[in-house]
Amino acid sequence: MTQVETRSAAATAVAGPPTKKRRHLREAMTGWLFVLPFVVLLVAFLLLPMAYAFKLSLYRSTLIEGEHFAFLENYTQAFKDPLVREGVVRVIVFGLVQTPVMIGIALLAALLIDHATSRFSRFFRLAAFVPYAVPVVIGTLMWGFLYSENVGPFNSLLHIDFLSSDVVLASLGNVVTWQWAGYNMIVLYAALQGLPREVYESARIDGAGPAQIAWRIKTPMISSAIVLATLFTILGTLQFFTEPLILQPLNPGSITQHYTPNVYAFNQAFSFQQYNYSAAISFLLGAVVFVGSYIFLFATRKRSAL
Amino acid sequence: MNVRNFSVRRSVVATVAAVTALALAACSGGGSDADADKPSGPVTVKVWAWYPSFQKIVDLYNSTHTDIKIEWTNAGAGQDEYTKLQTALKAGKGAPDVVMLEFQELPTYQLTKHLVDMGKYGANDLKGQYVDWAWKQVSTGDKVYAIPVDAGPMAMLYREDLFKQYGLTIPKTWDEYKAQAEKLKTASAGKAFMTDFGGNDGGFMTGLMWQAGSKPYSYDTANPSNIGISVNDAGAKQVMTYWEGMVNSGLADTKAYGTTDFYNGLGSGKYVTYLAAGWGPGYLASVAKTTAGKWRAAPLPQWTAGGNAQGDWGGSSFAVTDQAKNPEAATKVAMEIYGAKNTDAWKIGIDEAYLFPTATPVLESDAFLKKKYDFFGGQTVNDVFVPAYKAILPFSWSPFNSYNFNQLTTGINGAIEKKTSWTAALDTAQANVTQYATQQGFKVQ
Repeated sequence: MTQVETRSAAATAVAGPPTKKRRHLREAMTGWLFVLPFVVLLVAFLLLPMAYAFKLSLYRSTLIEGEHFAFLENYTQAFKDPLVREGVVRVIVFGLVQTPVMIGIALLAALLIDHATSRFSRFFRLAAFVPYAVPVVIGTLMWGFLYSENVGPFNSLLHIDFLSSDVVLASLGNVVTWQWAGYNMIVLYAALQGLPREVYESARIDGAGPAQIAWRIKTPMISSAIVLATLFTILGTLQFFTEPLILQPLNPGSITQHYTPNVYAFNQAFSFQQYNYSAAISFLLGAVVFVGSYIFLFATRKRSAL
Repeated sequence: MNVRNFSVRRSVVATVAAVTALALAACSGGGSDADADKPSGPVTVKVWAWYPSFQKIVDLYNSTHTDIKIEWTNAGAGQDEYTKLQTALKAGKGAPDVVMLEFQELPTYQLTKHLVDMGKYGANDLKGQYVDWAWKQVSTGDKVYAIPVDAGPMAMLYREDLFKQYGLTIPKTWDEYKAQAEKLKTASAGKAFMTDFGGNDGGFMTGLMWQAGSKPYSYDTANPSNIGISVNDAGAKQVMTYWEGMVNSGLADTKAYGTTDFYNGLGSGKYVTYLAAGWGPGYLASVAKTTAGKWRAAPLPQWTAGGNAQGDWGGSSFAVTDQAKNPEAATKVAMEIYGAKNTDAWKIGIDEAYLFPTATPVLESDAFLKKKYDFFGGQTVNDVFVPAYKAILPFSWSPFNSYNFNQLTTGINGAIEKKTSWTAALDTAQANVTQYATQQGFKVQ
């Protein structure tokens, strides 16, 4: 490879300016050819649908008067809609609590299994990861049974209705943590595995205990992986959807049809045929997610390599 | 397929078999004139339905027809199917020719002009076979938008053994029902509930309000842009005030219908009555198998002693969509598949799918009226359901029923979670529905 590059570079140098341009063009073409499959998929399955959704969001279709151009009417309605606001506030609260809990658990578990290299740690690593391998829908349905008042195993001991409006957000958070903590743990654990072992040794020689090594040495060294995991968690919580949608039939009084902005957009489109309004809500949510991620990345820019 | 690999003898056998098959095929189709008219073979009609045991109905239809072949898809029950249907109709392709729709959904699809007027293809001939309210659910004047199949007249199913155990008597009015519920609460030390109130089921709640004379909408598809809305009328408030009392004094449970906890309650004796529709006996028999033989049916309690006011919960029909390539054939399927004269289909419908037939000839046949149900200890439960069915009064739905049910269930579910009072929930629903209808361009009266 290197040889070829050197040779082609040499050839370019010899041939001089006129052919250099053409060669450059050909190289660019080859490059584009390589990324073409990706570009086609990106355009066909992301950019075009997004453009279509954006167009939809600018129109308004009513049962009696048909479709007409509404410009930003759907967006102003979404801004004023108290149900959208309620959902947004809920996912923000959820994210503020969920993200630190999730990353904390994942980090602790990763540090623990990185420290101990017994057979137990291998088992624990697998066991913590298994929930991620279970499809979200199946996992959520399973928790639905566990939360059940009549047949669930916890209720007979604790006498809490896990799906009542007071505690349902925490119950949902538990499902999400169960599902994703193992995944985040693996991300952090992989980062820990890549660290040079000599650093620990010198730290030990300097008198640092295992806890100090974990907190003062390992954690700062994998900060970019932590930032990445946190970013994914923030994106996930803002787009909170599957779990409330699956558990909704169990107690529609506490998990409402506007529980999160995504659930609301889904119901607007597929329960009430308000495709235009649904598209507007989706775009607003997309903007919020984009801004949220950007703020987070900006705030952590010194620690992360992203 | 790969003939060259066969020995000569084998290929001869294969040829003979193929010729015989062709000859047989010719025999089976040869007798009818249909082949001469349409050399292209039978017309395929795509049907979406979720009736239980529907495969047998389809097989029956296909084996008795050479001109039409039904291709059946189960696209999900209720809202699941409607979601797919709406998407397909919006997309302009992918919808079936014939679709199963519940009565309350028909105006929604009529308004958006996605249903074919079957009156043009002779559907009006069937009018005399149905009672007044059922035919009115599917038609406007001479325009017929669907063929009714089954209905959901309501009754009270109860556990005879538990009634005996707790010393309860069969309530004839809602006041008596509450009195028995109080008796039950003391006798069972709060372990059993009189029933479960499914605040997530708009059809169930509407059925009860229908009985109380509530008319939430006045709407006629002949005049599609005008609508009258009174979701919070006196009948509705009467029902909701009653159930607020039942729930808040711990006499009725509030588990959502269709959930594990609900089924468990029906099977375990936690609920001693189940307010059911005509399709309820079959449903109950499948979700609470262990209690077979212990249930009985009695008429739905009344608001006034000696009355016979009734409401409907569910019930369905077959409609033809505007994407049907051959609307005439599709109409034929819709009319015949569960037609009044199709006794073989109805035998399956009654015995296996537990449908409550809307066609009067089927309804009044001995096969239905005198059928003994083992699940109900040999009781002829249709003695209860048929008079209830005939007493139901006409009722109109809105052309945005998904939204309507959603507002109703959201409001009542919130009230169950004690976010508001039950009647205030109805007032909120009224305000929201009115706003929605105005936004959609209706003239709200």
